[in-house]
Amino acid sequence: MEVVLGQVEQLPALLAVCRSALVRAWDPPTLERALDWGRYFQHLHDRLRARPRPRLRHAVGQRLRRARSGAPLAFGQLGRCAELLGLALLENRALPPAACRRLLQRLLQPPAARPGRLALLARRKAACCLLEPLRSSPPSSPGGPEPRLAAEAGLLLGRLRDEPPGEPRWLGGVLQELPQPRAFRVVAAALLLVRQGGGGQQEEEAGAGPLLSWLLEDAERFAAFCQQLPGSLLASLAAHYSQISERYLDLLTGWGSSLLYDPLQGQWVKGCPDEAELSWEELRERFSCLCKGPEMLSRQTQAALKLLKARDGDFQVCGLSVWTDLLLEWSSLGCPGGGFFFFFFVLLGLAYDLASGLV
Amino acid sequence: MEQNTTVPTLDFKYWLDKAVEWGQATTLETQKDVCLHLPQLQEFLQQTYETLKHMNSIVAIQQFPLIGQLLGRLCWNPFVIGYDESQKTLMWCLCCLYSSEPQNPVELKANSWIRSLLCHLLSSSKWESNEAETSTFISALGYTSADYYCHLVENIVSSLVTELRGNQFNGLTVQGSVPASRVNAVSLFCLPLITLPDITPLLETLLLYHGGSSKEILSSQFLEAVNDAFLKKKIPLSESSVFSLWLRHLPSLENATLHVLDQLVSIQMNSLEEVASVIKDSFLPQAASHPAIFRIVNEIFKNALLETDGTPEVMTIIQVFTQLFVQVLQNENKQHKFPLKAYFPHHYQPLVVALLRRPFELPATCWSQHLTHISNMVKALVEDTNISSSDLLEVWFLVACFGEWLDIAAEQLLKAAVEPDALLWLLAFYYCPQTKNLQRIQTMAEARAVYNHLMMLFNTTTLSVRDLQAAVNSITDTEQCYTQHLTTHLLTNFLLFSSGGHMIAQEFISHITETTDRSKEVRSLLIRTAYRINQNGEENQKTVKLVNELLQKLNV
Repeated sequence: MEVVLGQVEQLPALLAVCRSALVRAWDPPTLERALDWGRYFQHLHDRLRARPRPRLRHAVGQRLRRARSGAPLAFGQLGRCAELLGLALLENRALPPAACRRLLQRLLQPPAARPGRLALLARRKAACCLLEPLRSSPPSSPGGPEPRLAAEAGLLLGRLRDEPPGEPRWLGGVLQELPQPRAFRVVAAALLLVRQGGGGQQEEEAGAGPLLSWLLEDAERFAAFCQQLPGSLLASLAAHYSQISERYLDLLTGWGSSLLYDPLQGQWVKGCPDEAELSWEELRERFSCLCKGPEMLSRQTQAALKLLKARDGDFQVCGLSVWTDLLLEWSSLGCPGGGFFFFFFVLLGLAYDLASGLV
Repeated sequence: MEQNTTVPTLDFKYWLDKAVEWGQATTLETQKDVCLHLPQLQEFLQQTYETLKHMNSIVAIQQFPLIGQLLGRLCWNPFVIGYDESQKTLMWCLCCLYSSEPQNPVELKANSWIRSLLCHLLSSSKWESNEAETSTFISALGYTSADYYCHLVENIVSSLVTELRGNQFNGLTVQGSVPASRVNAVSLFCLPLITLPDITPLLETLLLYHGGSSKEILSSQFLEAVNDAFLKKKIPLSESSVFSLWLRHLPSLENATLHVLDQLVSIQMNSLEEVASVIKDSFLPQAASHPAIFRIVNEIFKNALLETDGTPEVMTIIQVFTQLFVQVLQNENKQHKFPLKAYFPHHYQPLVVALLRRPFELPATCWSQHLTHISNMVKALVEDTNISSSDLLEVWFLVACFGEWLDIAAEQLLKAAVEPDALLWLLAFYYCPQTKNLQRIQTMAEARAVYNHLMMLFNTTTLSVRDLQAAVNSITDTEQCYTQHLTTHLLTNFLLFSSGGHMIAQEFISHITETTDRSKEVRSLLIRTAYRINQNGEENQKTVKLVNELLQKLNV
């Protein structure tokens, strides 16, 4: 067993070499040996799946993660090892011609190649290319995230489910590979996918847990997340995850509180124009998405707004409290003759100030 | 040597021109043209590979100067890459051109170009700028492009399926529906991908999609290809989508019916169970619960029967089909039932109802009575002086489809104490569907004579083959073939159900096989009997054993 584990531990390093310039020195026999290792690991994976030996499987997973260099690998990836190494080598321009020729023979040509695996890949890629443009443009496409996002989210979830419970240390690093709005979109898609999956609770936990902690552990990150994603998407996340809805409402409260009413323009404006906060329109859009959500979420949102409105003095007219205005918007009463009311209230306010000053 | 023989057949110029033309225009017409040429192109690529694999890469490039350009262009055409096995052969060809010891800059450049092409085909490559981030992300997770595209294609398919289905359900909002031109494009773009298992849900959704207009919106090339792949068992499809395909595209239904006939005629039937399972597998009996499908299938069968001059194999296939169809009808939810008139619009309905009764629904003691009733109805219909020959043929075909009742009639004649005339008349009509009454009267007279003779011998315990043969010959020396078929039918039942017959059955069958060409017919009768016994399971063990022994003898 120890011998096997020792070999497994070498896999991440082997993969790293296949992706490096070190392959420049490889001759065909070296290449053959690398591919043979790939096959061996695949074989090992298949055997452990056919006749489960939980202890050995667990130990294999542990050894794969123990490796310091290279990408994090999990047990499931042993099963695709030949492909992992083969494609890494194909993409590596440093591989010299003789070794490359052998690689092509082994990967693609009969009888060495496993029938059709890579041909199927090429076919699927062509299928994506043919069918993707036929989808209607996003706004009218009903349900589900855009396919590329969904694919990335699906892979991310698959990888998380292959991980023992606890925090995978690699998550942050891997998500950094994507530019920010995209990383956020992938995480959001993955969180929604978990809830659609109909999998067991344990499976849900394994997928969603680490993503939620990554998202919520850093206030700045969460703020950026809520700022960069559209309100409808955030509302569906809030509908599924109470942890998100609470923090999201807090964040919106903060943003709303910092808006100021500009009496000259007759609208709410940002306190500091440079701050990474939401404008009145953005805030309104987000709240309206929340109110249009499932009943629970809608009630929670309205209750929060009413509480905030009461805290601000419970006025029933525009221009005094951002919360009043939002509630008025939402109850679709609008704000008829807002300017007039504002003028009236400024006078009232003055009178109030004077009165309190006198007291 | 081999090179010289294959070179002239490889028309690189033709295909390069095609590839250039396809690459430049992206109109629907060019796309149709690509799809039309895909099978031929695959053949060409296969031939090219067969030639290249014996060649050194330098020689290959010298001999086929256009090859690089051609393969390069094809690699960028998703229709070609998506089609069947073209991508595989194309990659093999590229491998053959890769040189392991490049000698000069040109060869080095060729090598680098081949690797770019392969990466383009296989990786979510870093060379395609829009996917650069995806590629890093995937490999950081420890996945490959194979995993990624597997997920991606699944998601694209499910998104298209949702879109198409969504519009089906709110069929009322016509404006919101997917434009017909786009649905047509989806069907055309699926054409090369039909055998890719990932897109099966999309195929099924398309087949069930009708949109608002009464005109067919799916490409007919697509419909033909899906049907073909389904018949060749290259793809599985749900029952409902197959039915929808056959209802919307008549040539597909025709092909499916002819395919079943071909399949069954080309095998040697060993049992009707086998035949039944092939027919069931074809989905035809299930689909026939839709009246339009039933009528077309039935018409095709009738024509096949006429064209083959009533071959017993075809007759048997039709009878098994009808039996399975009746089963489907009876198992159907009563609410969704169509009236019988929808299936048999031009027939006398009481006759249809009577024929549709399954034997096990009635006690065996009522069978002869039921058959008499059928016989009387048929007689009244065909003895009407106004009947045209085509109407007569229709009645005959209807009766012939329900062959189980005819077999039971022959059996009842020998097994039970019945008033024989009506049953004999029914058999005579089946074997002699002539317009001329005179002919039928003669056949009937002969049949009665054979029957009477057999009944006389029925209780004789010591019977010889010669006695039996002589008895039959003395009556049927007219050489009328209708009577011969009828006689064979009665004789076979005599062997199975009389004690004397049992004793000489083996010997008599050998005699028939050696002296006449009727062994096929006897075999077919025995197979049908075996099937009926197996289904009803009420026959005595001695007869079951005898049937099986006789069949074994005939199969040798």
